[in-house]
Amino acid sequence: MALVTRAEGRMYLTPLVGFLLLFLGFPAIVNLIYSISAVTFETLRSPVLSGFSNYVAVLNDREFWSSAWFSLRFGILTASAECLIGLFLAIFLAPLLSKRPVLMAPLMLPLMVAPAMVGLMYRLVLHEFAGPVPYYLFEWFGDSPAFLDINNAFRTLVVVETLQWTPFAFLLFYMAYSAIPLDVREASSLDGASPFEIVRWIDLPLMKPTLVIAFFIRFIDGFRVFDNVYALTGSGAGGSTTSLSIYIYQAFFKEGAIGKAVAASVVLFMASFIVLHCLNRLAGRRKR
Amino acid sequence: MKLSRTSFALMATLLAGTALPTFANATVTVLGWPGGSEETALRATVETYNKQASDADKVELLFFNREGFYDKLQADMAAGSNAFDVNLVATYSLGRYAPYMEPVDLGADAAKVFGESVLKTMQFDGKQYGVPTDLSLHFMYYRKDLVDALNRDDAAKKTYGEIAQKYLGKPLQPKDPDSWTWDDWAATALYFTKQVNPDSPVRYGTVLQMKNLLFNMMVFQSLPRSYGGDWMDKDGNVTVDSDAYKTGLELYKKLYDAGSSPKDSLSYEYAETNAAFASGQAATALQWNAAAADLTSTEKSPAVAEVTGIVAPPAGPDGRADHIHGLGLGLNKNAKNKEGAVKFLKWLATEDAALLYARSGGSPALSPDVVAKVAKERPDLVKLGEFASKYGYVMTGATSASALPVYELQAKEFTGYWSGQQSLEDALAHTKAGMQDLLKK
Repeated sequence: MALVTRAEGRMYLTPLVGFLLLFLGFPAIVNLIYSISAVTFETLRSPVLSGFSNYVAVLNDREFWSSAWFSLRFGILTASAECLIGLFLAIFLAPLLSKRPVLMAPLMLPLMVAPAMVGLMYRLVLHEFAGPVPYYLFEWFGDSPAFLDINNAFRTLVVVETLQWTPFAFLLFYMAYSAIPLDVREASSLDGASPFEIVRWIDLPLMKPTLVIAFFIRFIDGFRVFDNVYALTGSGAGGSTTSLSIYIYQAFFKEGAIGKAVAASVVLFMASFIVLHCLNRLAGRRKR
Repeated sequence: MKLSRTSFALMATLLAGTALPTFANATVTVLGWPGGSEETALRATVETYNKQASDADKVELLFFNREGFYDKLQADMAAGSNAFDVNLVATYSLGRYAPYMEPVDLGADAAKVFGESVLKTMQFDGKQYGVPTDLSLHFMYYRKDLVDALNRDDAAKKTYGEIAQKYLGKPLQPKDPDSWTWDDWAATALYFTKQVNPDSPVRYGTVLQMKNLLFNMMVFQSLPRSYGGDWMDKDGNVTVDSDAYKTGLELYKKLYDAGSSPKDSLSYEYAETNAAFASGQAATALQWNAAAADLTSTEKSPAVAEVTGIVAPPAGPDGRADHIHGLGLGLNKNAKNKEGAVKFLKWLATEDAALLYARSGGSPALSPDVVAKVAKERPDLVKLGEFASKYGYVMTGATSASALPVYELQAKEFTGYWSGQQSLEDALAHTKAGMQDLLKK
């Protein structure tokens, strides 16, 4: 006998479905309407349908494609760097942390800072006349690079993002690493496996699901980046650090092109949906 | 369970206790410009107002971050927010916010305090939408000690001439900053650039604000304007691709590429520029007038306070030009306490309030008779009034509802050129096409 009857199940699900319809469904429908309308701040309540011109404008906009390329590169690079450094730290520091778990707290501190604050902090830290980094570089080497100019802004942002979010990947990897039974490692050691071989053939395969999940979480976060980039470079230098989120924000608020901004967000949603669906299918096929 | 009479009475008392203070505290909420001298001055002025106002008219201040201020304000007002009765408004955003505001009659004395031309910075379609609290324009800040030393040294003058010839193609000689043309300023900036002249006592000749930010475009605008540049001609055609804009854009790029401005200038705005000039490592800076108080304060800028000179922006073939931009406070159409809000706005337009605001650090543009009363404490306000009346200008089309998006567009395209992302021709073509689209709306 089923624990919950069908009617009870419906009753339990109703609040959740209602919540989703109200808070996700309604904005989604409004967005779809706006994306095919001529709409401004003055006509928010009375948009005029205009076909797919907003989509055409977005797809023909060179900045949409350059911001999409920025987001993609940024997402892949930061996720890769965070996972690689996080993995190294998790394995390297595991013996120390198992004896001194209190050290986890300072390692997690960067996660506690709001990304916008991180952006502002680095704006100060890297400022040629107020920041400690350029100050010491001038003292020691007589010069300091331009951290936020056209050649370095992207690299600086990648480093800032990686410094903040590596602890997240590290935390997941450390937990996964700690969960591997010691006897498996001991057995392989008795069979003559070197420490490198243990990592390569025992630890990494067992941590693989966590590695994949951490990479995708970090990729998604990097892809949709907004706060720290906006606070640090304001999409400069010369628009070279415009992420897709910043592109949508600028189209919406700065240009007042509400239809175009919403159309871009719909395109982004469709692309994300297709990518996630493919990944889901890939994961399902592997399981089988 | 039935409520007893006693518990019912208790609940009623409790409810009344929470509701009554709400009525008693029917205050006027004012959304001001956050941070900087404007916030300090408004806080001090409101404190005085509240001492004389009745409980229902007392003013409470509300500030949110400068970052994205106008966007948040736009979203709030479009949504019909009544979270504030009085809101900030700026000359260049008046057309954008006027549909959500109500005109206000400030009385005949307001013209005597501010003068008609300043009141006009808060007018749209012939109606007064606000009290002009601060006028912003730009000063050319320069290091008096460095320029004086240059003018006294013949060898330095010779080097100056050689640098001017090499970089600008003109045999220039040092001049008094108050008679600088843009070429003179550029030559001075190049001379004081370590990368160009290793004997320069400072690292940079100037500090250019080149971040992709609309306010930076306001600072830049005076250069092409003094070469005759305008957004549109009298027939309404967009003229941003003129030689004047080309000259201005190229001069900025030339200075940036030569190392005359800090390498990170493409991420610089107001605060970074102040920090750079105050460090003593820059010889000149075209910066907002609001920075005068900080840059001449021995406490805040000890390295340069006593050697900082202030003149109007340099001249071009069409003379000098100084971009004016007014901030003010106006009435929200959906205000909860309109009566109290109007009372506050009228008081703010009186001479006493304007003088108090000026003495508290604000930058109101006052008529000559009124400014004379604070000239000792605020000599920069005298310059402000003088520069505004002599050189102040507003670009054609710059008070339309699309003015801010035009500045945004220019910021995006011009910084794209300065950073080498696109050619000058492409930047101007994109700007022209975008402006045609925006200004025809």
